[in-house]
Amino acid sequence: MIEDQLVYLYCVTNKEPELTETEGLAGSLYLISHKGLYAVAGKVKETEFGENGLKKNMADLEWIKANAATHERVIERVMADADVIPFKFATLFNTDQSLISMLEGYGEEFDAILQRLGNKQEWGVKIYCDVNKAKAFSVAGEPEILEIENKINGSPPGKTFFLEKKKAELSAKAVNNRINEYCRESFDLLKDLSFEARINKLLPKQVTEREDDMVLNSAFLVGKDEVSDFISALDMLKADYETRGFLIDCTGPWPPYNFCGLTNQKVASASSA
Amino acid sequence: MHQVHNIAVNSKDVTLLEILDRVLDKGVVISGDAVISVADVDLIYLGLKVMLSSVETMERLRGAPITGPMQEAR
Repeated sequence: MIEDQLVYLYCVTNKEPELTETEGLAGSLYLISHKGLYAVAGKVKETEFGENGLKKNMADLEWIKANAATHERVIERVMADADVIPFKFATLFNTDQSLISMLEGYGEEFDAILQRLGNKQEWGVKIYCDVNKAKAFSVAGEPEILEIENKINGSPPGKTFFLEKKKAELSAKAVNNRINEYCRESFDLLKDLSFEARINKLLPKQVTEREDDMVLNSAFLVGKDEVSDFISALDMLKADYETRGFLIDCTGPWPPYNFCGLTNQKVASASSA
Repeated sequence: MHQVHNIAVNSKDVTLLEILDRVLDKGVVISGDAVISVADVDLIYLGLKVMLSSVETMERLRGAPITGPMQEAR
């Protein structure tokens, strides 16, 4: 082990992966095998990934983007022929020996996770809402709002002001109800077609760089044989919702980042179909 | 920036956001004395999160944020 290098761990699998022609963060990858598990690792520079270097680099968005994409690409390569446990970006060890000790310590747990993830894929579903468009659909046919609209016609200006205010409140409530209803309906339908499901934090517009609002950020662990059903259900939801101001964005298959927690209560409590 | 393959199914544009959302925030986190820097990295993530949540707060102050029914509880 060279003094100024660290061991970067990408993922753990239980089938010997093919790594030729796959570049890691700083050159080639190698395998560390221990009791039937294979850790996909690579050497990185201490100056770049050590405590000080990492602190500096994690403030550099371009560095993060490039390196996170490499991290992902390596895991996807391994995932092409095996089940994987993806590790969080910048999981580092001092030496191969310390990584082996970790495999020894967590071996049984890793085996169990791989067993659980076997033959399944993670899919991501995000729903965005164009609020103005959704409002038009949500407000149409609401009796309370129709009533106010009727009252507004022919009311004196002073009264109109308050009626308009009331109408705006009711409209906002109606659109929020509709968003809640659609999100719940979509999530429940997709959850029924999955082994596990998770809801993640909504990302703000500054991050998504989109005009519409993210209203659902979810992930599903789907059996490989059920993927076509899952996609069909999504297509159905799209057909229903997309004319009403909602956009459903599905991505996958992903490494199971959302479903590989170590005795993670959130994952454990997520109900399975 | 690397091209993401394999993730193209049924999605028109997979942004880097999708990757960052997972790679930086999800995945197995090992803690233990064999691992260096993890605590510090978490601190940096915390920094990123604080940054993100302050952005959210700004949004809220600007008015009319749409909150979904099912925000992650944390």
